[in-house]
Amino acid sequence: MSTRVILAEATKSLKVYFFSSRTVFWTLALPLANGLYLYFLYLPFAAQSIDLQFSGANYRIDLIGFTLVGQLLYTFFTMMLLTGAAFEAERWQGTLETVLLSPASRIAILLGGALANALNYMWMLVAVALSWIAFIHVNILVTDFLALLLSFVLSYLAMVSLGMCLETFFIYSRRGSILVAWFQEPVMFLSGQVFPLQSMPAVLLPLSYMLPLTFGLIAVRFTLLGGATLLDVAIPLSALAIMAVSFSILAKFLVNYAEKRAKANATLTMF
Amino acid sequence: MNDSSSAVEVRRLSRDYVSAKRSHVLGRKTTTLIKALDDVDFEIEEGELFGLLGPNGAGKTTTVKILCTLLEPTRGQAFVKGLDVVKQARQVQRIVNMVAGGERMLYYRLTGRENLKYFAELYNVPKKDVAPRVETLLKLMGLTDRADDDVEKYSKGMKQRLQVCRGLINDPQVLFLDEPTLGLDVNIAKDLRKFICEKIVREQGKTVLLTTHYMYEAEEMCDRVGFINKGKLVAVGKPEDLKRKAPSGFSIEILATRLTDATLSGLRKLPFAKKVITTDYHGEAEGEKIDRLVINADSDKAVPEVLSYMAAQHCRVVSVNLRGPTLEDLFMLYTGEK
Repeated sequence: MSTRVILAEATKSLKVYFFSSRTVFWTLALPLANGLYLYFLYLPFAAQSIDLQFSGANYRIDLIGFTLVGQLLYTFFTMMLLTGAAFEAERWQGTLETVLLSPASRIAILLGGALANALNYMWMLVAVALSWIAFIHVNILVTDFLALLLSFVLSYLAMVSLGMCLETFFIYSRRGSILVAWFQEPVMFLSGQVFPLQSMPAVLLPLSYMLPLTFGLIAVRFTLLGGATLLDVAIPLSALAIMAVSFSILAKFLVNYAEKRAKANATLTMF
Repeated sequence: MNDSSSAVEVRRLSRDYVSAKRSHVLGRKTTTLIKALDDVDFEIEEGELFGLLGPNGAGKTTTVKILCTLLEPTRGQAFVKGLDVVKQARQVQRIVNMVAGGERMLYYRLTGRENLKYFAELYNVPKKDVAPRVETLLKLMGLTDRADDDVEKYSKGMKQRLQVCRGLINDPQVLFLDEPTLGLDVNIAKDLRKFICEKIVREQGKTVLLTTHYMYEAEEMCDRVGFINKGKLVAVGKPEDLKRKAPSGFSIEILATRLTDATLSGLRKLPFAKKVITTDYHGEAEGEKIDRLVINADSDKAVPEVLSYMAAQHCRVVSVNLRGPTLEDLFMLYTGEK
């Protein structure tokens, strides 16, 4: 795997897919608009708080904070899934075969795309979070900044590596976007984005725990709104780290498998 | 790895496609097997410019895609510089590149220079060589002045020239050109052909496989050609050898009016006429539509006999052109295409 390929891919992706005023505008505007919508929706219940439980820990946190963090991370997760689908864009613009004609490491190409997404959406995440903090009253309680930072970073890594796994479908098929779309609603339901995980039917919890967003939401809500320490969020952070590594290894296997299948079934160069 | 000295070796190569169709949305799926390539064998020598000629859908692009590792064959084997294109795909990718006609295969929102630098990184071109190689290629293809413009602002010809630069960025030993002059202006296409022959093949000694359905292009450029039709390779050889072996030595092209079906069938019955075909011709003489007639004959002595027969049939001959066989004649002969 070459660092040069990762950097070249990241530079290209940033310029080709993100460097336009329109993209920057919508990257910021949509989560902001969505956040405002949720804020006014939950405003009548502003005084209310919500109990969050995980692995014996119980935190009482602000309802609006709970909702906005859920929305922000969910948006980020969706963007990772959708824009992680860089191979779909390659297919449509007719460059997929040119890229796969080269001997460059496929996982390096995926990582380069992921790095570009990180740079692009990380600032969106920060900008939207800061604007909410500035204009919407949310009871933030941070006692361990390292725990908060790790919660964001590991959530991001786990989400991106899942995105890389899904991206391999775009090498194999031009219908990959349907798969990604199918992911969105179940993820919203299963991850505990809109309601606390303890309300989830027990039979569905194993599915919830397969999603990086679930652990990302637990870790970020606990550390940002509940004042949890590194030790308190050790389990979700470990789960996120394991997911980041496992999904990356799986992506490496899947990308080669998808390319081989696409060459055998002649779907690599279909537009 | 095989021990052949050929740059490219294709052995009994076949590729099937399965086409699935439903009579309606909920209908049963029926599948049809399409043989895009059927037991194709050929070799290309080091430093040779080999032309693969055939009509649309003949199997030219399928062959190229298999050889540059973008598609796996259903049966048979192919080797580039002795490397198996399926089992040693990554090694093959390092030494080949492909340029296709059309305007795809480039990033429109990157500049010409950024495109080339990106692909240089994908091919792991040594860091110190990237900038000089990019500049050399831009200069060779006359793109230096526009190298920092986004590709979306390029003309079709400029995009195609940039594609050739991209195809040469890894200094490939074998270059696949899949209809590289498709849709280009006459002058640009001519310059590109000259560049390929003089610089890429003669000066740099690279092996080139060119697919085209422009016969004059193949005639002008190729050391050897292969005719492919319906997935089968029907003839391979040097253009002059193939012409010599052509069953009809001469081609009589006649532009005439008042050409009737009866005259045509009469001409077909003449003993020396091996093949008589008509093709579309846009023109009129004294208010009458002109038809183009091509007669393949053994000898130039057939001309007076043809003319006197046509005069007897009240045809008005506008012009007569006698020539030896061309690749176009061979193309028509081997593929049955007009």
